Amino acid sequence: MKLLTCPLNGQRNISEFTYGGEYHPMPDPNTTNPRRWAEHVFFHDNAAGVVTEWWCHTASSFWFLAERNTITDQVIRTFDTSEIFNQRVDFVAPDIGSQS
Amino acid sequence: MTEPSPTQALRRSPIYRRHTGLQAQFEQTGKAILVSHYAEPSMEALLAANLGIADLSTLPRTGFKGAGALAWVASQGVKLPDQPNTAVLQTDGTMVAKLSHQELLVVSDLMATGSTVDHLNKQPEASQTYSLPRADSHSWLAITGGAAAEMFSKVCGVDLRTHKFAEGQVAQTSLAKINAVIVRHDLASTPCFYIFSDITSTEFLWDCLLDAMEEYQGVAIGVAALRTLAADR
Repeated sequence: MKLLTCPLNGQRNISEFTYGGEYHPMPDPNTTNPRRWAEHVFFHDNAAGVVTEWWCHTASSFWFLAERNTITDQVIRTFDTSEIFNQRVDFVAPDIGSQS
Repeated sequence: MTEPSPTQALRRSPIYRRHTGLQAQFEQTGKAILVSHYAEPSMEALLAANLGIADLSTLPRTGFKGAGALAWVASQGVKLPDQPNTAVLQTDGTMVAKLSHQELLVVSDLMATGSTVDHLNKQPEASQTYSLPRADSHSWLAITGGAAAEMFSKVCGVDLRTHKFAEGQVAQTSLAKINAVIVRHDLASTPCFYIFSDITSTEFLWDCLLDAMEEYQGVAIGVAALRTLAADR
């Protein structure tokens, strides 16, 4: 059985976890363009090497981040999302006129 | 006094048919209908000290989640655990478990005399505090006895032996492939583990645990046996 260390619950069997996809920093909503935004939402790098990924400990519904080497499947570290998401991001949608 | 029916209260246990199948005697505790005992009560307490399973699903419990939840519950005069995945008792017997930095589980004592759950449910919540009505979403089972940890090792990946898993510790893990919150809350000197898990899977979990308990002579027990063990000092 593979083991993964949840930052909240400690080391657990991998069957208690769900993979949540690659983590990408969000583009600045005030300066980005639609193409960049679409890439952020829909595209994945699928890189060979060390990547940052979303994982969820299903038993506690706790989402966290993991740095994993996709070539060796070695998990370098797992960490709490507050390490990255530590301030509120406010933005307003640009006015693109009436949709009627 | 006539014996209460398991279906007469507003809230009935998701596995009351299992209890009637085992010829349970029911009792009323507060607003809840609980299994008092299946066999002779003093005999049942002896069996429970070895290995027993009880259904407490009709007793009160609640929960709160959100960035403001812990501060709000503390402002209501409730003592909170310091660390996530630990639990503390209030003076009225209510147990409060901290499941993360933003989530609490609050459960009644065995006599349902504590007022904390009722009080919190009646208060208007503060901002960034969201109620988790655990009585609707989660069943509540208790496993008692010296053989409990060894039985758990057949169905759970976390080491629940008493020298590894202290009183007041919480494990959120997979139990017989069901997500569960396990809290160690001893009855005096008898190890006891509360299990909170998805209410729709209660019959499955009850059957799985009874099956795992069979080789240790584990049996279903009523709340009378739990109270006897808790008072046995």
